[in-house]
Amino acid sequence: MDYDLSPRESAWRDEVRAFIAEHVDESLSRETREVGNEGRGPRARKFLDALRDRGWWGLSWPKQYGGLEKTAVEQWIFIDEIETAGAPMLPLTATSVAPTIMRIGSEEQKNHWLPRINNAEIDFALGYSEPEAGTDLASLRTHAELDGDEWIVNGQKMWNTMAHMATHNWIAVRTEPDAPKHKGISMMIVPMDAPGVSVQPIWVWPGLRTNALFLDNVRVPRSYLIGERGMGFYYAAMALNFERLSIGSIGMARRHFRALVNEVKQRVVDGRPLKNDPWVRERLARLQVEIDAARMLGLETAVALDRGGVPAAESSMAKIYVSELTQRIADTGCEILGLNGQTHAQEPSALAEGRMQWLYRIAPMLAFGGGTNEVQRDIIGFMGYGLPRK
Amino acid sequence: MDFTPTPEQQELKNAVRELATRECTPERLLAWENEPAGIDDGTWRAIAELGWLGVGAPESAGGTGGGLVDLACLLEECARGLVPRPVTGAIRAVAALAALDPASPRLADLVAGKKRLALAFDEETARTPDGWTTKLSGDRANATVDGTKAYVPDALDADLHLVAVRDGAGTSLVLVENRAPGAVASAVKTFGGDRQAHVKYEAAPVVAWVGARGEADAALASLWRRQVALALAEMVGGMDAVLEMAVAYVKERQQFGQKIALFQAVRHQIADMGTQFTAARHLAWQAVTRVASGTEQGHELASACAYVGQAFKRLCWTSHHVHGGAGFVVEHRMRFHSERAQSLCIRYAPEAPALSEIASALLD
Repeated sequence: MDYDLSPRESAWRDEVRAFIAEHVDESLSRETREVGNEGRGPRARKFLDALRDRGWWGLSWPKQYGGLEKTAVEQWIFIDEIETAGAPMLPLTATSVAPTIMRIGSEEQKNHWLPRINNAEIDFALGYSEPEAGTDLASLRTHAELDGDEWIVNGQKMWNTMAHMATHNWIAVRTEPDAPKHKGISMMIVPMDAPGVSVQPIWVWPGLRTNALFLDNVRVPRSYLIGERGMGFYYAAMALNFERLSIGSIGMARRHFRALVNEVKQRVVDGRPLKNDPWVRERLARLQVEIDAARMLGLETAVALDRGGVPAAESSMAKIYVSELTQRIADTGCEILGLNGQTHAQEPSALAEGRMQWLYRIAPMLAFGGGTNEVQRDIIGFMGYGLPRK
Repeated sequence: MDFTPTPEQQELKNAVRELATRECTPERLLAWENEPAGIDDGTWRAIAELGWLGVGAPESAGGTGGGLVDLACLLEECARGLVPRPVTGAIRAVAALAALDPASPRLADLVAGKKRLALAFDEETARTPDGWTTKLSGDRANATVDGTKAYVPDALDADLHLVAVRDGAGTSLVLVENRAPGAVASAVKTFGGDRQAHVKYEAAPVVAWVGARGEADAALASLWRRQVALALAEMVGGMDAVLEMAVAYVKERQQFGQKIALFQAVRHQIADMGTQFTAARHLAWQAVTRVASGTEQGHELASACAYVGQAFKRLCWTSHHVHGGAGFVVEHRMRFHSERAQSLCIRYAPEAPALSEIASALLD
């Protein structure tokens, strides 16, 4: 038994850290805070380009597609280091869509799409949810009918983040209306410049932009249906599974927790050092224990993947724990910072970069998004412990 | 025991609910966020004419001479309906001045909504008199204020600031004119909609004294307990709204071919919200009524603080959760409540001092 990184893993971590030290500075962190996710700012783009030049967009990809085929633990290390540094995460195009195309696409599709992803010519938004199909994705209604060599797509997608910047949309669409609802869906690529595609901004509480996507008689080449017809529900699940490691990562919350701890060390309130307050000490210590626990759940998922397992229950545990812990960190952080804890990140006087109140606003999304925590708890029961479904 | 409001209090609550339902729509709430004063003139005047600003003021100043329980009923309903914070702030400020100095000649304009008052107590790193560094100088007729007050709600638009100041004699409360030479308020962006500002006073002239010099500690302590009690009522109103929205949504939203309310995992969250709300509501009202009548028997206010603030935030969290993305858009009422929950909790009901007070009562 060994809870330390292997020499190979340590060397990889040092390599990632050296890269981060070279490419992440305060101006990038500031841009990340200012822009949110709605505009990958110029500094973030430069950083992602540097990652791509290094070949790290293909961290998880098989070698035959120019990937590095890193182990899950190595991927976990990468995610953890990037989040700890507050640097931009790899785009879902690289981490979710590309590996799915590698698994399910025809040779022709792989030859067409993968080089274009690899040279950043195209970038995807992901279109799964709809107004009436959130957690229950299989009930989606966006549909496509074949007309000669083209699909005609109609419908609406929700929470289509990055759609206003992406070149293409990776959408789940009903192509087999007569099949059972799980078996009637296909994955399709829709170019954003196709006639009939329109995007409406949706602003959410933490100040981020996402979008509603409208598809009105959009014509798409027949070959843009990726993989087999009717398998889209399973492909979407596969694409989501590639996000397992990042969705249960404690890196971001831990980064903000450390900033909080640093503020507490220095702050004096009513003439008394804040760090001497027994309530503050107990709260921070308890959160540190929980962060340690969350790290273990993330590692459990990575190690299980490397052993060839399907850690559905384990990754659900990490997702639930991290999302709910992030909320506790944010809430406690706001309270510990007192009146300053409500200060917006744009204010120079905001302690901990104003991230506690931002985390307070974003935390609900971590729990209901990416598969609600109720569904995750069901998965732990069914997949982890063999509980009956009926 | 009687947990129901009087007919007069119920009538006031009904009036607030009626106005809030009509005026405080999501579109208006968003528009008010972009108004410099946080509310448009028309709505402000309409509310002033309804007499809400004067509920805590004596009849001689045009008020209705209500007590703390009346104020709490009013603010509970304002919070439930998301009446803009400048209104609830004004109700609090008028009530504070009226309690300190019922004969103040400035009350009439405040009650009529012609002038506004802000309560400037907190500083960046001090929340209690011993920590305050804002200084009072000069004799009673020519006194001036120096220092910086922080996170002062509604300070930018206020005509007057009620400032807590220190000198060798102790703590005093004085009125300073905003925008007078030597008083500069600058906005600080926070959430919660209460338009906070930091105010720098440099030899700012005192225009009126509220109480005797150096003897404000007891008055301030009492004033603050009443302000905290009012915050508890606001939290109860917010919790009620948040729970009501969650119940309505799970009964309407369908997934997997059924209302999500039919999922046990969802139902249990509603049940827990209901249980916490019920306990919080009674702890809050017990504290309000005991503070109002001066009949506290132990640590009722501290207990309510420690429970209600945390429960309100948990309810917001759960309500957000069952709403999913639908409740997360900026237009949705949920996030206004969630912002107010944290904002009220930080200012009026932080857990640490409440627990510390209770621990002292138990152990010391």
